[in-house]
Amino acid sequence: MRSAVITGVSAVTALGRDLEATRAALAAGKSAIAPVEGLDVPAGRPDHSPAARIGTFTTEPELPRSKARRLDRSSQYAVVAARQALASARYSMTGREERTGILLGTGSAGATPLVDFERQMALEGPESASPFLFPYTVSNAPASVVAIELQIRGPNVTITQKDPAAQNALLYARLLLEGRRADAILVGAADEWNLDYHLAYERIHATRTPNRPGFVLGEGAAFLLVEDEESARARGARVLARVASVVMRPAAVSPQLRQARPRRLEEAMRAALDEAGVPPSTVGLVHLSKNGVTETDAAEAFALSRLFSPMPRTAAVKDALGENPAIGAVQLALAADQLLRAPETGAVLVNAFGAGGNVLCAVLTEP
Amino acid sequence: MIRRVVVTGLGAVSSLGNDLRTTWDGLVAGRSGIGLITLFDASAFRTKLAAEIKSLPDPGVPAPIRRRLSRTDVIGLAAAAEALADAGLDLSRENPERIGVVLGAGVSGLLDSERYFRTLLAEGPRAARPTLVLNHPPDQTTDRIAERWGLLGPRSTITTACSSSATSLGYAADLIRSGLCDVVVTGGADTLARLTHGGFNALRATDPDPCRPFDRGRKGMTVGEAAGILIFEEEERARRRRARIRGRFLGYGVTSDAHHMTQPEPTGEAGARTIRACLDDAGLNPGDVDYVNAHATATPQNDAAETAALKRALGARAKEIPVSAIKSMLGHCLCSAGAIEAVATVLTVETGVVPPTIRYENPDPDCDLDVVPNVARKARVRTALSSSFAFGGNSTVIAFGAV
Repeated sequence: MRSAVITGVSAVTALGRDLEATRAALAAGKSAIAPVEGLDVPAGRPDHSPAARIGTFTTEPELPRSKARRLDRSSQYAVVAARQALASARYSMTGREERTGILLGTGSAGATPLVDFERQMALEGPESASPFLFPYTVSNAPASVVAIELQIRGPNVTITQKDPAAQNALLYARLLLEGRRADAILVGAADEWNLDYHLAYERIHATRTPNRPGFVLGEGAAFLLVEDEESARARGARVLARVASVVMRPAAVSPQLRQARPRRLEEAMRAALDEAGVPPSTVGLVHLSKNGVTETDAAEAFALSRLFSPMPRTAAVKDALGENPAIGAVQLALAADQLLRAPETGAVLVNAFGAGGNVLCAVLTEP
Repeated sequence: MIRRVVVTGLGAVSSLGNDLRTTWDGLVAGRSGIGLITLFDASAFRTKLAAEIKSLPDPGVPAPIRRRLSRTDVIGLAAAAEALADAGLDLSRENPERIGVVLGAGVSGLLDSERYFRTLLAEGPRAARPTLVLNHPPDQTTDRIAERWGLLGPRSTITTACSSSATSLGYAADLIRSGLCDVVVTGGADTLARLTHGGFNALRATDPDPCRPFDRGRKGMTVGEAAGILIFEEEERARRRRARIRGRFLGYGVTSDAHHMTQPEPTGEAGARTIRACLDDAGLNPGDVDYVNAHATATPQNDAAETAALKRALGARAKEIPVSAIKSMLGHCLCSAGAIEAVATVLTVETGVVPPTIRYENPDPDCDLDVVPNVARKARVRTALSSSFAFGGNSTVIAFGAV
């Protein structure tokens, strides 16, 4: 396989509007998880799920406010994160437009424009809904907005998957590089938090409350610039990390079920390490899938205990940023950043176990 | 060893019928699946027509599961069942780890979510049933198919609007070519919802009358719904098990217009790049192309830009080969358009029958192609393209070949 390397990283999260700020806040033990309150939140909720929200957000300096105004939240996060990733990689698009791609994972990008459009149709009549809103109700909007803004003319694909969409995008990115469809691909995820969906999930008891364990909804965007190693070297790029493997080992279960057999998770992690050629003893860090769902968290812990002895350092980013495909991309970006700062980490395993038995593991190694 | 991809099974549910046979017979006969919308009250819309599936097929699952399925899940499961049976795969003897599922999807359970939001707005949160939003994620049908047949290979869902399922076929083929899978259940399923109908309506991209692709009087699209499932299989393996091979998947091109969120790039240069990328990947020359199953949404801009793209990429030959628009019969099935059109393209390659562009009356100088007007035609088709150009500038062109 063509060797894929990471030459740039970014993150827009509820703890900071770039990777550096996010990393520092996580290191300081901060959490973005907070109660959902405010004027637009209806009173009399029987349950109160918190969320990890970004709150007020400015797209400047990456994107002028005049351009950002018509964009949905996911697209705004995506443009800012994409520009940051290219800056981090010192990647100049000029002359490379057709050899550059974008692969974006998401769960529900476009949720807010979608609900707004539905509301307009229901309350003001079908013919009164805004035509400007509609294109942003579709999940491919963030990647396409980025492509138009940055003039990316190579492959442009959006993958939806309930939680591990960023890892899935990384898997497909390797195939696209292998097929020489591009030399560099922005790989990541973007997603937004939406009040209406939050309230629906809260009522179904899907999310965490003060009285009940569970996951917390998050949002954000993050990208890696993944390049074919030869062309990265040819342009003199700094290599942060190598994409050593991405493995998908799903289970066949009901789409909403958050359940994982420890043996399946162990198989997936083992397969990812095998493909990467990395013995468990050289893994210096594991980014956990752990998100507050008791069953899957316990299964992951048990699977790790069977695979590693002694246990490497672990990071549970979703404890601070919530669950969302975008947070999976943040974990990948943090993993690459870690390998640049501390190459002695050796290898980082990034786990992503989602609802519906979607199990993905990625291994990044020092270059 | 080069791993090649062949098609060993097909399944379809569409406005023309709930299986492959009736759908294909309808296309060949030039029948229209377009009629008045019954799924929701469309009386206040400018456009009241769509290509609806007339009655839902049996998804083949027990009642407790059936109750939880979205309309999209139901047609996706039915088309997958037909495709797997058509492929003659005995799943009890297959290694499930080597069978993947890659679909294009978007609307998913939105029709149910719309019920939730509408009740919420009209009667408040207590009256609205929040479990109705559970089927909203586009990857629901992918997971349902994997669950139903116990498939454990890589799984993915592409959501790039109208090119979703064409791109999903590309991802599926790459999984086989790379050795990650031996078989992939691929294609797509998408159904009607107020949002999509209302959205294109708001953009004035719909025709109040049934759509007329390539016609000078075309005013826009008619939305539709369908599921199209293809079984992709590694060729050597398919031959070893003596499977009937219906066609080859030769390659695909996927590119970004980087032009506009709702307008195609008008000169056709962006579309031509996608076609060239597909020909490159498939190892084809422009002169090899015998037929194009066009995206042809029937909007004034799309059909003109697509004609320009074909002429740029294929040269003078573009005017000589048949180019048909089956959206004239099936409507624009959005995230499953690429899948149902791929199914038809494989059948054209297999049978040498080119389905027509119906309702074609007035030639348009901006669409000066042989559009196979109104009546199907026999033709020698060894190699065929199917194009998908989506809002957002997500463009995909796929190529099929005869065995």
